[in-house]
Amino acid sequence: MMGWGGAGTLLAGCDMPSTVTLEEGREEVISYLSPEEYVIPGVGVWYASTCTQCAAGCGIHGRVREGRVLKLEGNPVSPVNKGKLCQMGQAGVQGHYNPDRITTPLLRSGGSLSPVSWEKAEQVLAEKLGGVKGDRFAWFTGSISGHQLSLVSSHLDAMGSTNHFVHEVVNNSVAQSVYADMFGDDAPRLRIDKAKMVLSFGADFMGASESPLLYSGDYSRFRTAETRGLLVQVEPKMSLTGGSADLWMPIRPGTEGVLALGIANLLLNKLKMSDAGIPADVREMINKYDVTSVARITGVAGHRIQRVAALLQERSPSLVLAGATVEGHTHGYASTAAVMMINHILGNVGKTIEPGARVPFPQLAAKRGGTADLAAFAEAAKGQQLDVVIFHGSNPAYTAPASLGLDDGLANIGFKVAIAQFPDETAMAADLVLPVASYLEDWGTLAPAFLGGEAALQVQQPLMEKLHAETRGFGDIVLALLKQRKAADFDKFEDYYGYLRNAFAALPASVKGGADSDEAFWNGALQAGVVMLPADTAPLRSTVVAFSEPREADDAAGGLMLIPSPRMGLWDGRHANLPWLQEAPDQISKVVWDSWAEIHPETAQKNGISQGDLISVRSAHGEIRTRAVLLKSVHRDVVAVPLGQGHEVYGRYAEGIGANPLKIIDPARDAKTGELAMYATRVSIKHVAGPEQFGLVKAGGSDTQAGRKLVVTVSAKQLRRTEGA
Amino acid sequence: MSLDNILNNWSDYRKAAEEGGFYDPEGNHPYEHRWTMSINLDLCNGCNACSTACYAENNLAFVGKERFEKGHAMSWMRIERYWDDQDKDYPEKGASFLPMMCQQCGAATCEPVCPVAATYHTPDGLNAQVYNRCIGSRYCSNNCPYRVRYFNFYSYYDDAWPEPMQQQLNPDITVRDKGVMEKCTFCVQRIRSAKDKAQMEDRPVRDGEVMPACAQSCPTSAIVFGDTLDENSAISKLWKKHQVKRNVTQQHKENPELRGYRIFEELNVDPSVMYLERVREEV
Repeated sequence: MMGWGGAGTLLAGCDMPSTVTLEEGREEVISYLSPEEYVIPGVGVWYASTCTQCAAGCGIHGRVREGRVLKLEGNPVSPVNKGKLCQMGQAGVQGHYNPDRITTPLLRSGGSLSPVSWEKAEQVLAEKLGGVKGDRFAWFTGSISGHQLSLVSSHLDAMGSTNHFVHEVVNNSVAQSVYADMFGDDAPRLRIDKAKMVLSFGADFMGASESPLLYSGDYSRFRTAETRGLLVQVEPKMSLTGGSADLWMPIRPGTEGVLALGIANLLLNKLKMSDAGIPADVREMINKYDVTSVARITGVAGHRIQRVAALLQERSPSLVLAGATVEGHTHGYASTAAVMMINHILGNVGKTIEPGARVPFPQLAAKRGGTADLAAFAEAAKGQQLDVVIFHGSNPAYTAPASLGLDDGLANIGFKVAIAQFPDETAMAADLVLPVASYLEDWGTLAPAFLGGEAALQVQQPLMEKLHAETRGFGDIVLALLKQRKAADFDKFEDYYGYLRNAFAALPASVKGGADSDEAFWNGALQAGVVMLPADTAPLRSTVVAFSEPREADDAAGGLMLIPSPRMGLWDGRHANLPWLQEAPDQISKVVWDSWAEIHPETAQKNGISQGDLISVRSAHGEIRTRAVLLKSVHRDVVAVPLGQGHEVYGRYAEGIGANPLKIIDPARDAKTGELAMYATRVSIKHVAGPEQFGLVKAGGSDTQAGRKLVVTVSAKQLRRTEGA
Repeated sequence: MSLDNILNNWSDYRKAAEEGGFYDPEGNHPYEHRWTMSINLDLCNGCNACSTACYAENNLAFVGKERFEKGHAMSWMRIERYWDDQDKDYPEKGASFLPMMCQQCGAATCEPVCPVAATYHTPDGLNAQVYNRCIGSRYCSNNCPYRVRYFNFYSYYDDAWPEPMQQQLNPDITVRDKGVMEKCTFCVQRIRSAKDKAQMEDRPVRDGEVMPACAQSCPTSAIVFGDTLDENSAISKLWKKHQVKRNVTQQHKENPELRGYRIFEELNVDPSVMYLERVREEV
């Protein structure tokens, strides 16, 4: 390997023939003889852009040297991440430089995909799009916002279709609809930093959440406030956030709403807080759930429930959160509403729940995905209602539970187009694959749904030339499609860059601030990586909606529940092809390069399972096999299998590793929102084979400190004496 | 030759351990800088951002599952996760996370055992590793109480950086080859460039000008880094606030309740990393 710096070149030269002609050595030292003005060999320059590794839309700075992007950092002026960057953001360069990227258009012929020219690809696509009518055409994307969304919406308009399916496994769709119904804002600003106590029902806000870095920053201020904030976490499987809780309580999956009612009961009936605004039906339901029955149903000890209720009254303002494990049941809406009702009772709305800052241009505002659209898409596909579908930024062929029958559905779609960077399951099932530039090579804007202050539009700019000449920017691809349909409107834009320049020039003067010219405004936006916008906020209301009883009829039936747990790292599986993240140990189990099933030691013993055993996890809809990890950080009634692995295709780092728990979940859905009940699948487990070498690989030799003074823990009382006010 | 090295190293080490600080034959001010770190364990949530940032910054090879099991992983900064209260049914106080990397000891036990002086003490107070002097005896690693030295059992060029992945490599530092020991450097390349810049501008290095990759990425700002010779630096103030002293094997604090502590300082290695105790509120 040749180094790029001078010293590296000399050292590596040992293995080289002693004479190298200028021509042969040309590319190895500096890529060009007359560099562009801003390129100084050996000096890195930082450019601002935006991360797209999850939907949060954090600002980044990319270090560019000799025309290559080397390292990403957080952008300090971004109101989302304020200079920080998580491990997924750090690993972004590995997606960009990934050896398994798709580098040419691929067209299916005779059953398999083979490379074709862009000309051919465009010709085939134009033909197919020309022959499709209205709603028989669809877009299927992940969460999308900014001008890319605007283009996709225009294309749908041009096609006369209303079908835009937006799918995200890690989502808070159910909570969104509860927020909207109860507070009048579907993306309120949750001020963890302003709360004196946070009671989190399975909200992994620092891990797999809608904006992990925004909330991590809040958490930092929450813990270092004059009175250190208190975090109580209730969830069936310890999440990344749960690992930092002062009190972590396991709960029987699906009974979180009952616990919320029990706490409400204590607040209203014992601690005499006001029940104003609570509908009579709900008030009656609350009265049914006294401490004893709640403790029996949820498995949470009665004295804990009483203590938490008392603390909530005492430590005002507090904040009560509901996460994916609350939302992911057939009664997910009811449970989430019951949890949010506690905020109403405690008067937190307006104190720790503030209006969200939203982008004042609705056409740019984030379309946030969930799983309802995945189910709806599977139905439409199975019902032969779709002829041409374009996929981008989502991998439904991997994330869809087998029970949705999406495989059959996909076979029914006449022509599937994937605008893809990697050969994932969806791209490999497509009829036409268009190779897209990486986010570090592309233009774009993102409107983050959750912001730490003012509204903002994040700007994405290429940090380097395209690695692969045949890839095209996403905006460029969609713009080309639009030109075919609406030449009059879109021919004036040479490319997506031109479209963005025009869009920025058209922004109102209030947004442009004091910029002298459009050019100056544009350059300022690129330099900062973010455009601050006047926020479109409305005051919140604090109401309680009527909701049904938040429990299953058979929740006392016992049996094991499957928790397909998303995690900071591989996320919903999209990052399984990034080796840094495969090798980064899971934060709780410390397993690398694999799937595993987290089981409580008692449950394991009952089922004759030991650490590292290969086990079968079976639901009514299928079976997966993986290794058992015995941990006390899961409820006894739970088998937790992390998301991310089990890719059939997805390049060398992801293929053939582990199992995908999403495949075996029930197709049950939340009654109110239609979201998939992701955490409501009953499973049985069985020993298959014993441990073996390289079966289960974990980081770290010891699970305990063995009496050594490694991590010392002190009480909050002591902290208050020394560092408190 | 190698015996001389060992004896010289040993003598430097004893002086460092017994007389406090870097041995300097002239007896002048021994250090140019004293880079130290503080990690607040009450803010660390074990998220791995620091560790992955380190892979990206320092050209760390990923090794794959089988080599990982054999202990070949190159994670200069790793997060240990401990469970306390093992006797309870559930870990009610969450997990104990510990970011662990080279502690850049003032009297480092890795230094005197190197037969070729590949690991040595710099005037910045760092344990430097001279890669092209290292012969791979691994004595240093055996002698490190923190287990933070990582050995290249293989050449990882082709496995860890297949074309075009090698284009991501940080040109400011090397890629280490088979047979070489490596470890956390406190991002010495960032220190170097900040010092160069300061020198060009004829001024001292400013507080906050050097930021290791881990500290820069940390989502909860748990990591503070700086020069303790600069009395006004944030890190100096933190050491003072927590009354943690260098060159001692036991802290005698005026207020023993202050949270700062150093891991394994009783071994007389004088670590440069101060941890702040994790806090849990009794509920």
